[in-house]
Amino acid sequence: MFVDRLLNQGNAPLLEQMLRFTAARHRLIAENVVNVDTPEYRQKDLSVEKFQAMLRSRVERRRDAGDGADVRPFDGLEAEIETPKSGLLFHDGNNRSMEQLMADQAKNAMMHNLAVELLRKQFQAMELALKERVS
Amino acid sequence: MFDALDMGASGLLAQRTRLDTIAANIANANTTHDASGRVNPYRRRFVVFAPGHPNKPGSPGVRVADVRTDASPLPKRFEPGHPDADAQGYVSYPNVDLSIEYVNALEASRAYEANVSMMEVSKAMINASLRLIA
Repeated sequence: MFVDRLLNQGNAPLLEQMLRFTAARHRLIAENVVNVDTPEYRQKDLSVEKFQAMLRSRVERRRDAGDGADVRPFDGLEAEIETPKSGLLFHDGNNRSMEQLMADQAKNAMMHNLAVELLRKQFQAMELALKERVS
Repeated sequence: MFDALDMGASGLLAQRTRLDTIAANIANANTTHDASGRVNPYRRRFVVFAPGHPNKPGSPGVRVADVRTDASPLPKRFEPGHPDADAQGYVSYPNVDLSIEYVNALEASRAYEANVSMMEVSKAMINASLRLIA
């Protein structure tokens, strides 16, 4: 119970959700790149704006619920926000845009790295606290 | 997250199959006989892609759904001395257009590179996540 609270307080669960979201989005972007020459394939994406809005509303819900609230109210966010990408439709029925995919991929990887770094810092701080010394 | 790598591999496989087909087209751009030695000009081949992993049904990816032959008419050239010429002196040649094949080869190799760079990113992301543990 103690460890559970330690790991799920603050913004660690938010960072975990960010990691889950960026991993899911990376999979979709990779799927789009792989199917860049597939006829009748429509590009898929996860909406970052919707994800952030949902995350914000759940954070507020958790804050309003107070101390006894469920510490993991964020699971399954990524499944709810899959949206087809719009864009120029080619003659083979594919709305590919390699430039957009590469830009999305770079932004998504940066978001993932940010979340990983922040989580790592938190774990480091926790480790230092457990060791009871600053090195 | 690991299946992003499998997905990239399926893309590499599909694009390489496409390049192999293009290479066969270019190699046979002037072939007027078939494998058994009869007069039967080579017809251009092309791959058709479909979404879905080739070895794992239900997983995302891309696969070569079919390799089809191009049914467009064969170009005829007037070569009366040619052993394969018809009664009017025309020889049917394969319907391979080298400029089309070059453009397709370029596109296939670019798509291959895009898949390689996606796999690099996948690897970097997986490594970053794994470093959280160690």
